[in-house]
Amino acid sequence: MFILSDLYRVSIGVGNRVLTPRMKQIVKWDHPAGMKYIHFWAPLMKWSLVGAGFGDMLRPANKLSLNQSISLFATGATWSRYSMVIVPKNYMLFAVNIFLAFVGGQQVARIAHYRYTHLETPNEKEKQI
Amino acid sequence: MASLLARGLSQLKSKEMRDYLTSTVSNKIFDLLKFANWGLPLAALADLKKDPEIISPKMTVALCFYSMLFMRFALQVKPKNRLLFACHFANECAQLMQLARFLNHKYGTPKPMKQYQVPSDLVQSK
Repeated sequence: MFILSDLYRVSIGVGNRVLTPRMKQIVKWDHPAGMKYIHFWAPLMKWSLVGAGFGDMLRPANKLSLNQSISLFATGATWSRYSMVIVPKNYMLFAVNIFLAFVGGQQVARIAHYRYTHLETPNEKEKQI
Repeated sequence: MASLLARGLSQLKSKEMRDYLTSTVSNKIFDLLKFANWGLPLAALADLKKDPEIISPKMTVALCFYSMLFMRFALQVKPKNRLLFACHFANECAQLMQLARFLNHKYGTPKPMKQYQVPSDLVQSK
């Protein structure tokens, strides 16, 4: 874990030395919400949730967790509405939360479809709840 | 302690709270959205008793990293958002627990090895 933070710090130091001022202007290196600070990387990690959700499309539907899907959908929907209301508008946050809401909704739909078509024995019903 | 709880509950039931919840003040959505992220740790805590088959490893690992970064984000943002910090701390703990359960289920329980049939003429009967 400490290795990763050292790697990050080393790459930031390298960037500080290697990039010319013009390049720094282009990528907004010194911006308070830029690549040097957590304000940039934290919302970027939300895309990894979207990626994990996409990767879960290959899992059979009885191996998905309903609670988690509903909470992902709810947080995506709420935050996508919120990011359009705050000042300044944060389009990146809006995009990531829209995708998260889609992924969560898709998982919920898969679980619902599976349960609707496979509700047979009382044994299975017990397992599902 | 009991009187503190009683006073807290009576404040929740008071007229001001009821007016606030039924009003359509534009700031209300910001106040209520502070609790929006709590769904994830609560869902993970509810899933702790269920079958470890439903745990998805990719999602669990992604949520661990996500919560780690957001814990720092919550303390670095101005003003400090301690509720968000608490939410992601709880989420981190819950996801690590789920990860441990998943790893235990997948690699901890010994899978039965293939049983080879011994030819009956080799079996020595006592």
